[in-house]
Amino acid sequence: MTNTALQVTGVTKYFGGLAALDGVEAAIDAGKISAIIGPNGAGKTTLFNLITGVYPFTVGEISYQGTSLKKLPAHKRTQMGIARTFQNILLFPHMTCLENVMVGQHTRSRYGFFEAALRLPKSRKEEEAVNLKAMKYLNLAGLGMKAEQDAMSLPLGQQKLLAVARALASEPSLLLLDEPGAGLNKLEKMELSDLIRRIREMGITVLLVEHDMELVMGLAEWIFVLDSGKKIAEGTASQIQRDPKVISAYLGEEVEYVES
Amino acid sequence: MMNVERLQRFNWRPVAIGFLLVLLLLMPFNWFMGQYTTLLVFIGLHTMVTVGLCLLLGYTGQVSLGQAAFYGLGAYFSAVLSKTYGVNPWLAMIIGAIATGTFAYVIAYPIFRLKGNYLAMATLGLGIIMYVLFRQMAQYTGGPDGMGGIPQLAIGSFVFDTPFKRYYLVWFFCLSILLLSQNIVNSRTGRALRAIHGSEAASASLGINVAQFKMKIFVLAAVYASLAGSLFVHHLSFVNPQPFGFLGSVMIVVMAVVGGLASIWGAIFGAAMVRILSDELLLRFGELDIVIYGLILMLVMIFTPEGLFVRLKSYYRRWQTGRLGEVEL
Repeated sequence: MTNTALQVTGVTKYFGGLAALDGVEAAIDAGKISAIIGPNGAGKTTLFNLITGVYPFTVGEISYQGTSLKKLPAHKRTQMGIARTFQNILLFPHMTCLENVMVGQHTRSRYGFFEAALRLPKSRKEEEAVNLKAMKYLNLAGLGMKAEQDAMSLPLGQQKLLAVARALASEPSLLLLDEPGAGLNKLEKMELSDLIRRIREMGITVLLVEHDMELVMGLAEWIFVLDSGKKIAEGTASQIQRDPKVISAYLGEEVEYVES
Repeated sequence: MMNVERLQRFNWRPVAIGFLLVLLLLMPFNWFMGQYTTLLVFIGLHTMVTVGLCLLLGYTGQVSLGQAAFYGLGAYFSAVLSKTYGVNPWLAMIIGAIATGTFAYVIAYPIFRLKGNYLAMATLGLGIIMYVLFRQMAQYTGGPDGMGGIPQLAIGSFVFDTPFKRYYLVWFFCLSILLLSQNIVNSRTGRALRAIHGSEAASASLGINVAQFKMKIFVLAAVYASLAGSLFVHHLSFVNPQPFGFLGSVMIVVMAVVGGLASIWGAIFGAAMVRILSDELLLRFGELDIVIYGLILMLVMIFTPEGLFVRLKSYYRRWQTGRLGEVEL
């Protein structure tokens, strides 16, 4: 018996007249690595944005650990333990790597304007703890040496790792990774897979959207396949690879082309 | 080798700050810069307003072209309450700050639904509306002619009745605000503000309540401006709408830009440069002064978008590291 961390029920999202998501159902198991795959425009990132509160959803239900996310703004979902990275990374420029990760600790520290302005002991104590924790997550991503460097000065691969470290610093129980492998070379992808496995070992549920099949098949224990806003299949890597619907969604056009 | 280490380890910061403090302490004396005391008071007042804009624009990335409105609100609350209604000036100042902060809080909700150019337009409109109100509500504000005879601030029997005394009062407030702001910037809150500047989506995904932080910093900037406004009217014993119009807001933006938007202490530099320029040099240009401000703004944005003060600081750093390099050789 596995625990369901995230339950997606009948979620539909229209942009204009177009259904980006059409009645999607998914149950993401706690403590596992799951993946959402599908051709371009399948609605993968839209689903991510609905889960993390970038867009509101009106039709259907998404609940996390039994609590509905419908009315929660994005920042409250982070407090519940949902963290994410972005396809276009979105690091904070003009801030060091360490500061970027320290922002991730925002919800795990409390002190506000008043304590900060007067530098009360509470603020200093928390600041020290935040610094230590941020360093820990930076080291986890193998970026400890880069702590004082400007985040934007890192090469793409390390920027992606930094974004993961930043999301981890919010101490989530569910981590959503939006195309973490895009634009990385083989070595960087290996580092990334390694990091994702270590994250799973920390007991964090991982859900990723990814185009790179090698990466997905090597990592994911459960895979959802979306096509044109609908879920067309789910299962383990080997089940998915044999599923005729998946094959036609990905290869249908190409097979016809070869035949003609 | 020993020398190099000592050079590197020697921290000039406290020395520089100490020097500046002594300078600030001695400047209003007659044998030093006594004839400029009034100018120095104005620099202090404008620094207070500018720091607020630096926090809002430089750190949080939210533009406001109407900061002079909050400066004016503080000024008129103090003037009207203390003169017309005989309220204690200190109490009037506190009421003014609270009222201005509340006003900022109320308008923050609709105004921060806007971004970028639209936010700029909305704050510009706010500034213009407030200016018109200051002029037109003549039965309270004295209209375009202004009102005089505003009582002095006093602590017990010690009255701040000379520019010399008020200089210390204003700079006490100014330095306190700079220090508080510096602490805010180097904190969890400051990081959140800079993160919002970098990416609102990413900030929200890390649990930062973006709307709330924008609102808080807007209110803080308004309160800074309001306090400066209150000190301003008690300094002059007179108030009219002129400093709180569009030109006033533009001056504040120029000060923030010259000082370096993301630099707390740069605000002093920016306020000093612009005030000296406007009070000592631009008088002979008359109405053309806004052209000069526009030119400065353009030139700074083109050549040193990080701010003149910040650029000078980085030149100094480079010069210093270059010097260290030579020693090492």
